[in-house]
Amino acid sequence: MRTTPLKSLLADAGATFGQRHGVESAISYADARTEYRRIRDAAAVTDFSFTQKFRIPEAGALDFLDNLLAGNVARTRFGRVLHTFLADDDGHLVADCYVANNDEEFVLLCESIVDDATLAGVLAAHGAAEAGMEDLTQSHALISIDGFKAWAVVKELFGADVVGLPYLSIETYQFEGEGIRLIRAGKTSEFGYMLLAPASCAGHLFSRAKELSEGQGGGCCGIAIHDALRLEGRFFNIQAEGRLVKDPLPLGLQWMIDFDKEKFRGSAAIRMRREEGLKQKIIGVRSEQVLSPGAPIFTSAGKVADVVVSCHSPTLDAHVGLALFPCDIAFAGLTCSLGSAKGPEVRTISMPPIMPRSLGVKLDEM
Amino acid sequence: MSPVSPEMQAIIDRRSSVINKFKEELIRRLNLPYTPQDLHEDVSLLGAGLGLDSLDALEIVLCVENCFGIKIPDENISVLRSINTIVDFVIQEQDAKGGAR
Repeated sequence: MRTTPLKSLLADAGATFGQRHGVESAISYADARTEYRRIRDAAAVTDFSFTQKFRIPEAGALDFLDNLLAGNVARTRFGRVLHTFLADDDGHLVADCYVANNDEEFVLLCESIVDDATLAGVLAAHGAAEAGMEDLTQSHALISIDGFKAWAVVKELFGADVVGLPYLSIETYQFEGEGIRLIRAGKTSEFGYMLLAPASCAGHLFSRAKELSEGQGGGCCGIAIHDALRLEGRFFNIQAEGRLVKDPLPLGLQWMIDFDKEKFRGSAAIRMRREEGLKQKIIGVRSEQVLSPGAPIFTSAGKVADVVVSCHSPTLDAHVGLALFPCDIAFAGLTCSLGSAKGPEVRTISMPPIMPRSLGVKLDEM
Repeated sequence: MSPVSPEMQAIIDRRSSVINKFKEELIRRLNLPYTPQDLHEDVSLLGAGLGLDSLDALEIVLCVENCFGIKIPDENISVLRSINTIVDFVIQEQDAKGGAR
């Protein structure tokens, strides 16, 4: 089983470890509410090294990546990042991908729901070797700094100009003489930065980021709390609804797809389903009761939907989730019942249901 | 057809009408390469998701004014998070004006 290059450091910081798709990761450090507040109110550092990471030289990258991924890599300008996905031949999700155009290279980060060997096999079958792809998964750590004050942590690490980086952009900074590829991205709906660091300096970088996050009133977070934050902020989570529903269209991921591209892996199946028309759509739900995954949702006339994923939102002090509804009634603003026609109330809601503090911060305040 | 009461169907019909009108105008104004069915109502409009910028945000505000005669205040950025949050605002404003459609 692969483990993170930061394992001993994370263990010393109090991490509880678990496994995701054959990779050992730090699941948590403290209770969920504490970790939640670290990100919503301060800054937190999370080890995302379970992510599969690759570097492709510019010369071989465009054809390789554009034939593989659903989005348009060729249109991704220098210094910018494309958020898209990798599907299988049936058009079902395999990995949530960031593709960064970083001068003479492209960086590919895959948060996948398959193990390393399976993903490597897919990439190899589609020309990874011919493209000159280099696997950075074992040699590099991926450290995520997220939170309302995350910008202050990266500003201290890399200097003031990092604050002006637009969302979904990449820049390389120096740390202890090593190049750190920094991608401004995240799925908590607060400020987020992903640092791709060689293993040789990743430990020191993590420690320094942790120290600075603690200085902002935050600290370390495990990967588990990110599931709740993604749901609350209505960021697609391949580990949750992605893994369960698999079809990008009912999940509303059409924005990740360039339908004008000639082809990409799974494109024929996705185009066919698009032409047939959607039968179901995932929408937000909210209840004062616990929303168990799989729980049925009823109107007065009968069962209409099932809960797919859920979490408790400390900000709302309510349970929020995603449920698969038939398209003809997949609308916010409806009052339904949970479990039976006479069960407790569950309402369909607009997502995201919270207003993150980071959205209100102006550049001149940073 | 899914089993719903007449009251629920009325809510659906009203919301659907606002959504469809807004989506068609948005796609036209911003020349988006999508059909209305492609645009999930919860997709983020600015930054993540559709990745629209501040100039596009002005177009969205004009889109709402053009479709519904409703102005989104400059300071109310939370309204622009998704199609659904915009539709919530439109319906709320319509109800405040006495249900004008």
